[in-house]
Amino acid sequence: MTSLVSAEGVTKKFGSFTAVDNVSFDIESGKILGLIGPNGAGKTTLLKALLGLTDCEGQLSVMGLDPFRQRKKLMQNICFIADVAVLPRWIRVTQLLDYVEAIHPNFSRKRAEELLQQTKIMANSKVRELSKGMVTQLHLSIIMSIDAKLLVLDEPTLGLDIIFRKEFYANLLNDYFDEERTILVTTHQVEEVENLLTDLMFINDGKILLDSPMEALADTYTEVAVSGHDADRARGLGPIAEGQMFGKSVMLFEGVSREHLEGLGDLRTPSVADLFVAKVKGARS
Amino acid sequence: MITHQLALVKREIWEHRSIWVTPAAIAVIVTLGVLAMMMFASGFAAELDVAIFGAQNLAGDPERKAALTAFFLSTSWIFIVALMFLTVFYCLDSLYAERKDKSILFWRSLPVTDAETVISKLITAILVIPTVIVLGIIATHIVNLIVASIWVSVKGGDGAMLIWGSVSLIDNWLAAYVVVMACAIWASPFIGWFLLVSAYTKRSPLLMAFMPLILIGLLEGIIFRTHVFAENVLARDGDSLPIFRTADIERFIETDEWRVGEGASNLLPHLDIVQFLTSPAMWAGVLVCGLLSTGAIYVRRYRDES
Repeated sequence: MTSLVSAEGVTKKFGSFTAVDNVSFDIESGKILGLIGPNGAGKTTLLKALLGLTDCEGQLSVMGLDPFRQRKKLMQNICFIADVAVLPRWIRVTQLLDYVEAIHPNFSRKRAEELLQQTKIMANSKVRELSKGMVTQLHLSIIMSIDAKLLVLDEPTLGLDIIFRKEFYANLLNDYFDEERTILVTTHQVEEVENLLTDLMFINDGKILLDSPMEALADTYTEVAVSGHDADRARGLGPIAEGQMFGKSVMLFEGVSREHLEGLGDLRTPSVADLFVAKVKGARS
Repeated sequence: MITHQLALVKREIWEHRSIWVTPAAIAVIVTLGVLAMMMFASGFAAELDVAIFGAQNLAGDPERKAALTAFFLSTSWIFIVALMFLTVFYCLDSLYAERKDKSILFWRSLPVTDAETVISKLITAILVIPTVIVLGIIATHIVNLIVASIWVSVKGGDGAMLIWGSVSLIDNWLAAYVVVMACAIWASPFIGWFLLVSAYTKRSPLLMAFMPLILIGLLEGIIFRTHVFAENVLARDGDSLPIFRTADIERFIETDEWRVGEGASNLLPHLDIVQFLTSPAMWAGVLVCGLLSTGAIYVRRYRDES
């Protein structure tokens, strides 16, 4: 495995506010990494640094390039969809294809047209005539027709209905992803992506709270539903979060082996959403 | 690089439809105006026919040439005024609209540098819009000359000779192109300034572009009692354009008598391209345009859009 992205002490400040605070991580190729964080956590700033849209302190390398200083070269191998519908509203679908074809050396117009044929988008339509879901479909069709090594998706399904959201991720997995490619996705709808991810990263207040492969989560984190009389014994093991459900205390443990927890109640691996809430609350308290 | 620029400039024309809609609209309006004038005048006597270039009963050759030249100049002038407005609005919108509708995030997701993007907007303002304007001028002239020659022929005159044979069309169109291009290059510091404002301002680009220009002129007058800025920057208009051998129009058209010198049938000899290309003021303007456009590239590159 080779590192596609390598960050070492990356920091980004806006005046006195530190949006990204001394962050270090690596992303290996062939992964689908979910970057999860509350609003204002620094996700978008970090993505912008990766995409060369903003300068930052520290060492940051994407495919061996300095993203800010070598952005043009980088953009030949990176695609991204930002968190708002950003396709220009005045452009026609054919014009968009003409433009990307002329600009992008790795774009396959044939593939884009094939993908668009599976949708209701007409070649002659203007973007302003399309629904939000269709604009996202159009954007995704273009992105999926670019042979890029890294795809960055920042809240790609925001404002879309559930059918479009499901289709979006299904297309991405079935038609796009392979071991040559890496996807970095941020989203609020954690439940929808958690089954796709190979790796998970939590960010809060500009700091990384968790950086782990999905399959390692089960080894580190365990959720136990404890009945009343065992609760104190369980608390003694130092849960990182505790909640109540159906009269039981639901406790989340980090780094406590399952042998220690067995006998306290039903064990299961926590959902990403529960883990996220526990980590963020823990960091804030 | 060249394929990128072609795609980028094409993109500008797609986005800013006014670049070709405005000249087309002016061409239609001028043509309709001339047609109306002819139909109106045809009911009258010979005096009015002078206004409709090239009528058969027009007294003589110089008058017809004068009428045709006047038509050339007046229509070209309308287009040059349109050029001014088009360029101002185009430049102010070119780097502002993409930030307003957030499409800048899409444009910047493709392998194009900020310098390439800003240069494509500069090329559009200095080369593409003037060229489209000249094409508008030529098209208007051709359509109207066709209409006029048909009208003259219907009246029993020799339209081909009277209309098409009396002035040097190619030379005059070439002259129009030279003047329009010279105007664009002469105004290039303003183009650079408008691009910078368009890249920089958060709101009201029109106000933000003109307010500083007016304020600097006013403050200089009030504080120093001088008008250096007003004379060298704001007054950079057609009067001082160093492309003309003489800016005195009366030397080739005597408006009081509707008489015209031989030189008036061909506008090209009135232009001095060498004088223009060796004008220090022109090169100073180009340099200022370069600096301000570099500023626009810098702002687009370093501004954080979040």
